[in-house]
Amino acid sequence: MRNDLSGRDFEDYIHHPLLMFFNIYSSINFISKLNRVLNFVPGTVEMSAHLNWLIIRDNNCHLLKQRNVKKPFSTEANNLTNLSTFRYSGLVHKKTLAIKAADKKGFTVTLNKGKLQQCPARNKVSVTFKAGPRRSLKKLKHLLVGNKYRNDLKQAALRKASALLRSQRPAKVKPAKKTE
Amino acid sequence: MSLATTRPLVSVYSEKNEATKGNTIVLPAVFKAPIRPDVVNEIHQLMRRNNRQPYAVSEEAGHQTSAESWGTGRAVARIPRVRGGGTHRSGQGAFGNMCRGGRMFAPTKSWRRWHRKVNVNQRRYALVSAIAASGSPALVQSKGHVIDGVSEFPLVVSDEIEKIQKTKQAVIFLRRLKVWADIQKVYKSQRFRAGRGKMRDRRRIARKGPLVVYNKDEGLRKAFRNIPGIETMHVDKMNLLKLAPGGHVGRFVIWTQSAFERLNDLFGSWKSPSTLKKGYNLPQPKMANTDLGRLLKSEEIRKVLRDPKKKIFRRVRRLNPLSNTRQLIKLNPYAEVLKRHALLATEERKVARIIADAKKKGVELPKSHFAVRASKAQANRSKMLAKVLAERKKKVAPKKK
Repeated sequence: MRNDLSGRDFEDYIHHPLLMFFNIYSSINFISKLNRVLNFVPGTVEMSAHLNWLIIRDNNCHLLKQRNVKKPFSTEANNLTNLSTFRYSGLVHKKTLAIKAADKKGFTVTLNKGKLQQCPARNKVSVTFKAGPRRSLKKLKHLLVGNKYRNDLKQAALRKASALLRSQRPAKVKPAKKTE
Repeated sequence: MSLATTRPLVSVYSEKNEATKGNTIVLPAVFKAPIRPDVVNEIHQLMRRNNRQPYAVSEEAGHQTSAESWGTGRAVARIPRVRGGGTHRSGQGAFGNMCRGGRMFAPTKSWRRWHRKVNVNQRRYALVSAIAASGSPALVQSKGHVIDGVSEFPLVVSDEIEKIQKTKQAVIFLRRLKVWADIQKVYKSQRFRAGRGKMRDRRRIARKGPLVVYNKDEGLRKAFRNIPGIETMHVDKMNLLKLAPGGHVGRFVIWTQSAFERLNDLFGSWKSPSTLKKGYNLPQPKMANTDLGRLLKSEEIRKVLRDPKKKIFRRVRRLNPLSNTRQLIKLNPYAEVLKRHALLATEERKVARIIADAKKKGVELPKSHFAVRASKAQANRSKMLAKVLAERKKKVAPKKK
């Protein structure tokens, strides 16, 4: 979201539409920025994940601590491992994802689009994977790694998804014990 | 962080949750103010004390007897005892905090320091921090607000909301804004307090819902006040206790447009000081960029750091050359030759002895006997060696010339 334009210039453009239109075409960069403004994509108050984490870390409603359990856990939806750590935190990062079992078969991945962080309603995309485990897990991997979405969550995501798939398998019928 | 970035715009939503076209507000500078949870917590604690009412136990409690100690020699403790006879009370211990009917230890006084003076600048710092935090969905979510359907943060709604007269309308408005989920959470959380507070007039508790900040109350307060969890607040009288309940930042705030527009006047932006508070401007953030990942990747920092140590040094096991031949050979390559010579020499001696023995006894050794074979091999070996040496000499000799 950073740009070379000083904040003041930008404000002026917004306040003086005429001035704005005279100067726009001086640079393509400008136009793209302007487009963003005109489309009202709130692009926003940049809060870095690190800062957020420091604010949240010791005190948030999802934190789960218990006696004799060394690790603090976390209960938020987008936390893949339910561990209260910077990496797995579902609140702090721009890009997070939740994996849930789809009804009957497969799993649904809900991604946070990084761009619309300020707009929770428009921020989410969900994808359902139903074609067998091998294919869906591969797709999931590509989803995270291919776009450089969250490389660091690959393993955790695959673990969670495959655990969900495993839970959907029909229960093995044990052969009845021979009665003698 | 503040000055180099663009001025993000915040759209204003109508009561039907539609972003009104052409009606956007430049984000007030407060939302980029530094968020200091430590300041907020501290100031919240201090401010919270200011609405306490003094209490104390009665001055006379436990001292309304003429008790005196019996002194030593009567095989009872030297605590003051109630005088006289004829009732159960006489002879019982009195005054002491360990006695039944005695006074408490260090009886509470009504002149305890109940209230705290809080520096104005600190109070404003805390307020500003709390407001800035309310613009971040991450922080609001971390407080447990349900904001999945909310259109935008900070959430600004048109001034029509201030004119809402009926609670019913207010509920419809909240439903449309998809804020109702948060209030449902409040409903679910209504319960009785745990502990003695129940008997101290703090019986019911519930979590907090969104906070509505308005500029002009034209019915809004009355319309919203019966919805559980919702609180309302005037922009000019913003209260840290409401903005950061429990001393933790991240309350879900709904601003009306005119209230939102007033924020720059109230707190100033770094470029211009506040027009409503005398000589006030926002605190400067200590770091312009808090994105650690980006900082570590930046060229300026990269340049100063040395390259990462990627070479792996493995520990080498030290072997004893006296017991480990290979190690010995590594240190002293000639040891191999010596060892071999020694080995051959012992074999030679052994063979010679066997053959000599056999001669003495006049026994003919069979050809397949190892001593016979070995002696032959030895002879052969020395012959071959002589040959090789001779050849080597020949080769070396012409070079000399």
